[in-house]
Amino acid sequence: MTSVTRTSQLRGANAELSGLAAPGRVALSATPPASAMTKLLQWLLGVSLLGAVWALVTFDLLGLSLPRTYREVAWPMPVYLLVSFGCYSLATVGYRVAIFNDCDEAAKELQEQIKEAKEDLRKKGLKM
Amino acid sequence: MATGVDQSVGMSLVAFSLLLFTYYSVWVIVLPFVGSDHILHKYFLPREYSVILPGIAAVILLLCIGAFTAVVIWKNHKPKKVD
Repeated sequence: MTSVTRTSQLRGANAELSGLAAPGRVALSATPPASAMTKLLQWLLGVSLLGAVWALVTFDLLGLSLPRTYREVAWPMPVYLLVSFGCYSLATVGYRVAIFNDCDEAAKELQEQIKEAKEDLRKKGLKM
Repeated sequence: MATGVDQSVGMSLVAFSLLLFTYYSVWVIVLPFVGSDHILHKYFLPREYSVILPGIAAVILLLCIGAFTAVVIWKNHKPKKVD
């Protein structure tokens, strides 16, 4: 999402600069150079690399015959990472729910404002 | 600090997830390195279940999300009036 707004910002700036005198015009381009890699590609590369290593160890594709205990640990790894990520998310949500502090004055102020608004609308004829 | 129910719910979520993480970590990572005649194996199911049970939990979670979405869409569906 931020890359879209950045692109439109840069495009706006480019249009502005194009209105200036020709010398000293800077060509602003929002597209990355061809040699740079997008974030999506980076993530896909990382994930496929890790997946290849996991498949090598689990299915013994290179015929390395690792000790049996290491293969026993390796094969549930994707599920284990998912479960631990889920546990981390749950713990973070629970912790932030417990830490979140009440704002007593803000609550009172809000109730006052609701009362005022109701009175105001009632005077103006809105039935509540 | 949040009051009463919020705090207890939050802390119980933290405790539950810590417990689950520890049990699952021991099951997946520690147990293969422990000798097969150790008493620890008594407290854990066979190893295949360490993949099957989270799979079943994921399917149930997806079913619940789908059911909730279906119920919400059904309740909001207003049929057009026919004159």
